[in-house]
Amino acid sequence: MKSSSLTRAVLSTVLQPVFSTRPNPGRTVACSVAPPKPKVPLYQRPPAFRAALSELKKWHVWAKNQAAAVGSTFLDLDDGPDSTLLLRELNWLVEDALEQPSLLSPKNSSSNYDDAAPVSIRACLDDLYKLWKQRIEERRPFQYVVGCEHWRDLILSVEEGVLIPRPETEIIVDLVDDAVRGNEELRNGIWADLGTGSGALAIAVARILGVGSGRVVATDLSPVAVAVASYNVERYNLQNRIAVRLGSWFDPLEDVEGELCGLVSNPPYIPSEDIDGLQAEVSKHEPRLALDGGANGMNDLIHLCNGAASMLKPGGFFAFETNGETQSKCLVDYMDTKMKGSFYSINITPDFAGIQRFVTGYRA
Amino acid sequence: MERMIPEKQEKGLDYQRLWLHALAQRHSGETPLKTAPPHPTVTAVVVSFMVANRSGLLSITTSARRLSVAATTNCNSGSSSSTISTCETGGGREYLLMTDEKLMSQCEMDTFKASGPGGQHRNKRESAVRLKHLPTGIIAQAAEDRSQHKNRAAALARLRTLLALKVRNTVDLDTYVPPPELVQILPAKSTMRGSDRGPQIGPNNPKFALGMQALLDLFFSVEGSVSDAAKKLGLSTGALSRLILSDDSLRMAANEFRAAKGLKPLK
Repeated sequence: MKSSSLTRAVLSTVLQPVFSTRPNPGRTVACSVAPPKPKVPLYQRPPAFRAALSELKKWHVWAKNQAAAVGSTFLDLDDGPDSTLLLRELNWLVEDALEQPSLLSPKNSSSNYDDAAPVSIRACLDDLYKLWKQRIEERRPFQYVVGCEHWRDLILSVEEGVLIPRPETEIIVDLVDDAVRGNEELRNGIWADLGTGSGALAIAVARILGVGSGRVVATDLSPVAVAVASYNVERYNLQNRIAVRLGSWFDPLEDVEGELCGLVSNPPYIPSEDIDGLQAEVSKHEPRLALDGGANGMNDLIHLCNGAASMLKPGGFFAFETNGETQSKCLVDYMDTKMKGSFYSINITPDFAGIQRFVTGYRA
Repeated sequence: MERMIPEKQEKGLDYQRLWLHALAQRHSGETPLKTAPPHPTVTAVVVSFMVANRSGLLSITTSARRLSVAATTNCNSGSSSSTISTCETGGGREYLLMTDEKLMSQCEMDTFKASGPGGQHRNKRESAVRLKHLPTGIIAQAAEDRSQHKNRAAALARLRTLLALKVRNTVDLDTYVPPPELVQILPAKSTMRGSDRGPQIGPNNPKFALGMQALLDLFFSVEGSVSDAAKKLGLSTGALSRLILSDDSLRMAANEFRAAKGLKPLK
């Protein structure tokens, strides 16, 4: 009870910051549930370690050989990464770990930089070996290895327990941009990102809404996700425009029922039985909570669809990501029949690979 | 007819093709989707291009690393030139003067990745982007950045370079005066350079592409003769030669044309 009344009070201060006396309301929510402390991404750590350039080069050659040895093994096994991709990731690891990544680039191999000279790195040499072993041997996702994902123009902190945002989902932000350009009133209202994970959509949507009175509430059932999303929100200095809330879907939003101007979500949508067959990076490392959409993958989408009808205000916009054509059509069909009259301008938009990925519309 | 097959396709990765006018969809409201077979062959690409552009010349680049040596296929009779004439494409200079948004609206954007459902299914680092400029069929792609967003910007920048290299404007030699964007990339000693021209622009400047395009327009119209082009630009043959050699893509485009004319390459 206490937590619920506290969070509600905090939400109102976030949504009406003019009355707020709290210096940092978004953070209060995360702290109220004693959250796990998010890890600092590798590229943001201080370059506090030193190694001789020759030692780093040795590591680099070893890591390249590890990547090359994979060949197409993972690709054939479970559609995982091949050597080309792993080598590209290795470049990105070097970019994140070294203060001067160019020291390891082939162009500099003949430079007069002394091989014995110490080089500043953001993790100790042993850890660099460990991290790359984890990537290759355990198939730990590269984004967890370096602790971040580049998504749109953002760099988001991610770690185990939080879904790594996917390139496809970037399009939802463009869809929101279109919606608020089409109706500027939407720009100044309350938006919700349900199942926010790293906070990617909430942050990108808040930046689309701009510095007016628009606010975003992001919810997630996972305390780790709430902590990581809050961390990312603060990194982009949006804590006064985004409130991150712990709870299932619409549960933390009771006091704004019928008042949302917009609703976005990339809910779990993979059918339960498909999950074990996914590439190891996903099935063995990413949170099942963020992937598993029940028997046909539609459980959460249907729940969101039902909630949207009561949570959005008339004219409010929604955008959901789905598993593809079958789910998109199924969802549109559900809205047209079971929820007849609740929504209008329902539309399916493909992702950049041509898959019918997103369902959008407006509350009637 | 010789065709360059994209490497990735040979290795079993297919380009998940989206015949989507990426931004045009948003900004003009036109119908975005032309359905394409899920696993299109390269032949299909060629055919669709030939229908789209009957000037009959085709340029396909096969990987980000090979962008500067864009492979070309000549579907025209007689000439072995690898460039696209402007007579049916509306003017190459106009493309380079377009804003990013406008240029993007003339492109189809693909992401290419291993086949599969994507989305939550994949840990996808392949945020590569492939842009096809519809009026010319020129393809540019970028894969080396981590975000699709940035790869899109990089691909667009490459497309501008390729348009400069591949799309020719016709030049009237009798009345020729080098356009300002070309004068900007000429060395200071050119007699065409007035005192008000500012410093010479180098290959790293985004405006270099326009100047490079104008230089190639002239170079092609004088049949690849460095000395003839140099006269028109108020430069010595050596100075123009050095300018051409200063940029890899410019040098390759010039030498490719000279080779087609049976001339020795510039070194």
